[in-house]
Amino acid sequence: MSKARRGWLRVWTRRTVQLAFLLLFLGLLLAARPPAEGSPSPWLKAFFLIDPLILLATWLAAHAVPLAALWALATLAVTILLGRVFCGWVCPLGTLHAIAGGIGRRRKPDAARDRWSPWQRTKYYLLAGFLAMAVFGGHWVAVFDPLVLLYRTTTTALVPGVQWAIEEGAKKVYDADVGVGEYRAHQATEPVYTWLRDHVFYVQGQAFLGTGLILGLFVVTLALNRYRPRFWCRYLCPLGALLGVFSWRPLLRRTGRKEACNECGLCAAPCHGAAAETFGGQWKPAECLGCLNCTPACPKESLGWTVQLPWRREPALSRVGISRRGAIAAAAGGLAALAFFRATPQARGKKYNPALIRPPGARPEREFLQRCTGCGLCMKVCRTGGLQPTLIEAGLEGIWTPRLVPLIGPCDHTCNLCGQVCPTEAIRPLSVEEKQQTKIGLAAFDTTRCIPYAYGRPCIICEEQCPIPDKAIYAIDTEVKGRDGQVTTIALPHVDPDKCIGCGVCENVCPLNDRPGIRVMSANESRDPDNQPILPGGGGDYAW
Amino acid sequence: MEKQTRREFLAQTAAAGTLALAAQSPLARQAWAADNAPEMTIARWTGPKDLTADQISRAAVKLTEQAVAGLGGLERFIGKGSVVWLKPNIGWDRTPETAADTNPDVVATLIRLCFEAGAKTVKVGDNPCDIAQRTYAASGIAEAAKKAGAEVLFLDRTRFRETAIGGDRIKSIPIHPAILECDLVLNVPVVKHHRLATATLCMKNYMGVIEKRNLFHQAIPECLVDITRFMKPQICVLDAVRILTDHGPKGGDLKDVAMPLALAAGTDIVALDAWGAEVLGLKVADVPSIGLGEAAGLGRSDYRSLALKEIAVS
Repeated sequence: MSKARRGWLRVWTRRTVQLAFLLLFLGLLLAARPPAEGSPSPWLKAFFLIDPLILLATWLAAHAVPLAALWALATLAVTILLGRVFCGWVCPLGTLHAIAGGIGRRRKPDAARDRWSPWQRTKYYLLAGFLAMAVFGGHWVAVFDPLVLLYRTTTTALVPGVQWAIEEGAKKVYDADVGVGEYRAHQATEPVYTWLRDHVFYVQGQAFLGTGLILGLFVVTLALNRYRPRFWCRYLCPLGALLGVFSWRPLLRRTGRKEACNECGLCAAPCHGAAAETFGGQWKPAECLGCLNCTPACPKESLGWTVQLPWRREPALSRVGISRRGAIAAAAGGLAALAFFRATPQARGKKYNPALIRPPGARPEREFLQRCTGCGLCMKVCRTGGLQPTLIEAGLEGIWTPRLVPLIGPCDHTCNLCGQVCPTEAIRPLSVEEKQQTKIGLAAFDTTRCIPYAYGRPCIICEEQCPIPDKAIYAIDTEVKGRDGQVTTIALPHVDPDKCIGCGVCENVCPLNDRPGIRVMSANESRDPDNQPILPGGGGDYAW
Repeated sequence: MEKQTRREFLAQTAAAGTLALAAQSPLARQAWAADNAPEMTIARWTGPKDLTADQISRAAVKLTEQAVAGLGGLERFIGKGSVVWLKPNIGWDRTPETAADTNPDVVATLIRLCFEAGAKTVKVGDNPCDIAQRTYAASGIAEAAKKAGAEVLFLDRTRFRETAIGGDRIKSIPIHPAILECDLVLNVPVVKHHRLATATLCMKNYMGVIEKRNLFHQAIPECLVDITRFMKPQICVLDAVRILTDHGPKGGDLKDVAMPLALAAGTDIVALDAWGAEVLGLKVADVPSIGLGEAAGLGRSDYRSLALKEIAVS
């Protein structure tokens, strides 16, 4: 086999591996649906457990990580040996950028596009700022982790978009009821729709709030591939920067025969990471994604790979050139940003956003934010689809973290999946029994909306559907005078704050679907002793 | 099952033929039934009350078999090759011993009897309040029904069709077409407490064939009469093997569960509901839908005045 053919074989092997990991990522994402019985598979969070950025940021911010997150050390080990192959071979977002950056890319070398740019240092400075933030408890970097970014976008925007198309399409065919003779078109579409409904999707009509920004960020970073291929990976990705730091002197190094190189730039033209400062030379291992495109591209076969021990200085490696001054400035910037995040009324005082209802098992807010990456796995697996990404409810620091929106879906009484799947245990895994005793909020009647109070008609669906066995909502027969002066008896509902766990079933089933007559707010949440304004009755006995 | 004599058979055939010529309406069928066969049977367990879970299961099977047999068998209602929709209460994500859903043994037994009576297909489904996948599994009904050979179907909430039911209060409501397309809807509720409706029995069980049901709560008795009139019940089986006496209809606490070990089957939905109210220790007047149903001509609340058969099972 010629050297060039061997080179292309390697490239195609890399592409196959990339595609396999992308499909695995999407497969695990689609598999993250409520299981028929038992606990969800621990493999669902596999990608997050091998992510060293999540490991480092969580460890810095929370000083604790789940044991399984230590798998990420394996990724670091691979990086120390081989360089940023995670970016080039494994990362599914990287693969999408490789595809987007490859489409329509001209084969002709372009000095601006293909050579290393000092602006690629940006990601290292961003990482420095983010990590400084993490040391002081800000976990924001994980929000921009590439795996998190792709998972969140796919879960909250892409899958619901596809689901919408399938559900609405099948419904149109079903409603139109068209066909020839005995044959109806929906005889073909309904089985497909039903299969997808029962095996791929779970919550019908699943949709998420505020996906515009999530999708927007994704689309913009994809579009930036038109300006520079793999723009995100080269300039911004914090995980890429972290892996870059660990690949400053990898065992696998690129060699070049200077005497054979005429600096034609054909090796740089297909380079994913823009890893070389000059055409054919000054290779920077921290910027190389290990795509292996360069070696077979060289018509003079002057490039190759060699294994070298870390202390060996040959073949020479080029540095990215992070300045100490720059790093310190970035760290200071990170701390300034953290100060800005925390200088909000909600973060300073004992003031709570009523709309911020965290899933059961969520740690106290500060601790929660020190761990939550906003990956969206809990939202993906939520049985009712009620877990939604925040926008500003938890402040800028808590963007895209989960909150329960009972109007969309309540917290199902026998479900504890969110805590089971959370990769960083920002939501602690609870048994169903523990979960059923965990208060996430407190329901309150809006007597200007509630049908019996406001309009004098019977209703109390909230009481009917309250899942607490002896009912946190009870009704008292009350005499009310009608418009004509007639006195009638009507059952008026009330909430027992000792029994209410804030699951929001009542809010969800209220006939008023715009602003329900009963709403759950964050008061009484078990996770925060400062947000428990109601003195428990019965000697503080929470058991029911 | 009781055997018919040849004379009875001939007489019934003749009567049925005459009536069939006279009118094909379900009312006529009921009239025919009233003349010739029991309108209601009540099967009560008279054996030892201290039963294990297994023994309760077997008792539920026997009660169902005997009550249906006492009514003249399901052959009365099911033609050869017909499609039956069995409509249990599968409303809640609760296990059978909490009595929040219809007893799975009752459901399985009825499925078997449907097939024995000549049904081609038996479909089982409800529009639950909790998540369907959960309620079907937790109630034990999905497993029991599948084992008995029925098709267990989820009622897709996006497939309900707005249907004119011509009621006094409800003019039209989304109903799942799969239910309306069946030859017979066999209504199999469980006796439960219900704060607003006082009790949830046969008439209320029809709230599982519709969507937008939370509107019903603003006038439950009237709405139940409307939907019952539209559904034209031919036979209902009311499960009182275990009943929920308080904190219904979802319950969840075993101290609210009683075990009358009884079951009634009949053609008169009002009569069955009246019996169910009694099982709960209520008077007919306590459950407004019963009186209203009777006033609307859906049946008679004085179930003892019907052609009633009471069967002791042990």
